[in-house]
Amino acid sequence: MSEEKISSNESEGAFNEFVEDQLDEMLESIINEGDLSNIGDRHSDVIVEMDDIEVPTFSYGDQGSGRGRGGAGPGKDGGGKMRFSLPFEQLMDLIAESLKLPDLTKEGKGKIKEFSYEFKTFGQMGVILDKRRTFKRALKSNLALGLYAPDQGRYDVQIMRRDKRFKIPERVEKPKFRAVVFYMGDISYSTYGERLSLEKRLVNFSQSWLDYNYGPGNVEHRFFVHDMDAYEVQADDFYNVSNMGGTRASGVFDLVFQIAFNEYDTATTNYYAFYFGDGELFDDDARQILETLEDLMRPLFNRIGIVEVQPGRLSLLNRQVATRFNRDPIIRLSEINDKQETIDVIKILFGEQ
Amino acid sequence: MRTIQTDPELQELEQQVLHHAKAMDRTLPEMRFFILDGWEFISLLEKYVYPTSPINIWEGKRVVTKKHRVETGRESSLYYEVVQTGNPSYAYLNSTNSPMMQASVMAHVCGHCEFSELNVLQDSNSDRTEYVMYLVKKSNIARQQMGDRLFLDYWNACESLVPLLSPHSQFNLARSISTDSLQPHQESDKDISSKKTTSFFQPFSGTMSALLQNSSKESAWKNEIQQKMNRETMSRQGYKLRAPCQDIMGFLRSYAPTGQGEKTILDYMTTVHATHDFVVRTQIMNEGWAMYWEKKIMLELFKDKAVKGIIDYAKVFSGVCYPRPYYMRNPYHLGFHMWNHIETLYREGKVALEFIEETDQNTKEKWNKSNGTDPIKSMEHLVRTVTDYDFLRRFLTPELVDQFHLNRISKQEAQRVGLSPDNIIKEDPYWVWIDPIPVKEEMLKFFTHFYRPRVYIIDTDFQDGGLLLYHRDDGRRLRKDWIKPTLKNLNLIWKSPVSLVSKNWLYSFSANLFKETVVTEVSFEHVQERIRNSEKPFRI
Repeated sequence: MSEEKISSNESEGAFNEFVEDQLDEMLESIINEGDLSNIGDRHSDVIVEMDDIEVPTFSYGDQGSGRGRGGAGPGKDGGGKMRFSLPFEQLMDLIAESLKLPDLTKEGKGKIKEFSYEFKTFGQMGVILDKRRTFKRALKSNLALGLYAPDQGRYDVQIMRRDKRFKIPERVEKPKFRAVVFYMGDISYSTYGERLSLEKRLVNFSQSWLDYNYGPGNVEHRFFVHDMDAYEVQADDFYNVSNMGGTRASGVFDLVFQIAFNEYDTATTNYYAFYFGDGELFDDDARQILETLEDLMRPLFNRIGIVEVQPGRLSLLNRQVATRFNRDPIIRLSEINDKQETIDVIKILFGEQ
Repeated sequence: MRTIQTDPELQELEQQVLHHAKAMDRTLPEMRFFILDGWEFISLLEKYVYPTSPINIWEGKRVVTKKHRVETGRESSLYYEVVQTGNPSYAYLNSTNSPMMQASVMAHVCGHCEFSELNVLQDSNSDRTEYVMYLVKKSNIARQQMGDRLFLDYWNACESLVPLLSPHSQFNLARSISTDSLQPHQESDKDISSKKTTSFFQPFSGTMSALLQNSSKESAWKNEIQQKMNRETMSRQGYKLRAPCQDIMGFLRSYAPTGQGEKTILDYMTTVHATHDFVVRTQIMNEGWAMYWEKKIMLELFKDKAVKGIIDYAKVFSGVCYPRPYYMRNPYHLGFHMWNHIETLYREGKVALEFIEETDQNTKEKWNKSNGTDPIKSMEHLVRTVTDYDFLRRFLTPELVDQFHLNRISKQEAQRVGLSPDNIIKEDPYWVWIDPIPVKEEMLKFFTHFYRPRVYIIDTDFQDGGLLLYHRDDGRRLRKDWIKPTLKNLNLIWKSPVSLVSKNWLYSFSANLFKETVVTEVSFEHVQERIRNSEKPFRI
């Protein structure tokens, strides 16, 4: 007992597992109902709130309408809340696992690499002496040779050359991928209120998901809007610009393709594009988009998503595109009418076909 | 965690502390000291001062919360001492403390260990820590036997009933259950009332005593029938309720139908939590006793120059013994000063009928008639015979309440608790004082309920095998949303229907069905009377 360490690691682990199980159950509601706006930025931890767990017992005072899951399992009552800081990576791991989202296909592997050095091995030659290992070996040798014998009053431990152990750095290569994501939005339709919030949820999630897959700093996010013409805007302006009047969406697809082709190395870049709008376009405009998608973008891009946000009776973009790309592995078509559908849309955009 | 033998300086101090404690004729068990770091202390406390515990999420939750509080600076991880009394006792020292603090902790621990050995509730037992470690191992096996899910459910059910563990209650197992089988030892009235030896074989009935009893034919017949029923119940169940039983957890441990794994969990829970009841009933005496002997031993160490820093020690001591208002109960402060006061009373012969009957105030004030008995022996006798309740009832006077500042409240606090100006008898810019006379009564009230609902088992065969609990009304309602989950947990352990009477409501849980029924309210005294007469204590 004298050399052991008192710890609650296993109990802490059991509690963390319990919390993870709870989180798993809560995940759908976090994505569908929760505030996703803060997970995309700076990859900060996400604060998750869940009902506190307490052991129910006979006690005084009515705490109102606590949810009693007592009895079997931890009594879950009281109305108190537990708040957890969930690291971005961990949240994304959970989302990937829970929604069964596959890893994104990455091209250009091995062309760009990140290097780091880790001390994983120990040898007899080197620069950085591992004092702990060296002393352990020296003590063993001295004991074996009888040089260290406390019962005979010999306390010195001599460190010989063969006892020395050095830390050896090992070069670790991690393939570094680069990706660029183009977000395209229709500012001619009424993007405010619920429509805007639905669009924001999807854009935020897409940003986070791609950052998580490629690693922070390896993904460039570019924002484009269109009315009759197409423009590139800053991220903050993506939701803030609007224009009443006519609309022509094929221009923004053309613009995105031009930028993708001319500004990036097509051999090493992974391309993604997501279009959000009400889908109410002129017939020839939709046909033009279809041609751009088929001839130019599809061969170049890893994934293209077209999402009709609260489409109306006259929305025809998806219908038109679906005539050629129904159930296509690259071009994914979806619509969203309510935030409860967020997960379904995410699964269509990023899931297996 | 390392033993004190790994630190020669501390080991030397330990020897000196023990030397002085023995020189002062202290009754000490074997004491084993260990040195822990801050995180280990947190774990140890959440394992209820045992070095190991079965894996459980509640401990995990408490540790995670505590670590977060320490890391964010909302709580200090500086714990001075933690001791698990018994024989041997295990005491844990914080590695960050100075030698002077370590010495004071060891001296303090001596006081606790002796109190545990001597006290009336017979707290100390052999190999408590070792037994708990054995139960932990058994629990880990039980987890494998039962499977994670069942183990967790049963564990949680037991956690839910831990506050219903009252081995030292007036209505504990020994006093409320008649049984023909062995029970875990609890103090009973027999232990306290007489120590005379009795014959091992007791006659079933005595002709002489029967003749001497002045009873009518009817009552003799009634007694005979009652005895017959008792014998029948005993042979059918193995036990019989002769009074309401407040030690519900203890009852379940002894009489609930359990598998091997379930029994292990119940054993572990009751063993680990049983000391809490002792602590809550003796905290003032216990902490006071520890402070009293800590100070005496420390003064000897300072005299010997074995430790340095008497001014620092005085600072820490006065911080620990800082007076608090009566409802905040600082047991260190109150206990320490009470013991000092009692020592003076015994030394001057003031605990005597002669002193109490003396009517002349002048004579009383100058009273100093020692009867030659060592006051320490008289104090030890108190430890052996009373708990906090009697300790305060006998020795706390309104003058002492005032002297110990138990009736002094800071103005800010008075405002917070909404103290009425009518209750204030004195004030200065920082403090207000309330009348000291009702303070003692208020303090004694704590020992009737310990701020917990009083719940008893009153029938073990309610509606055909069900367990009936009774909530003794003291004007407050039970938290309603927790009644159902708690009964559900109890049902899991008792494996038959369970019910609770609280005021005019009967709550029942059976076959996953929870029911609330309005019933006629019945008093606790009435229930007691009926159980005594072997009648059903409660009928719908």
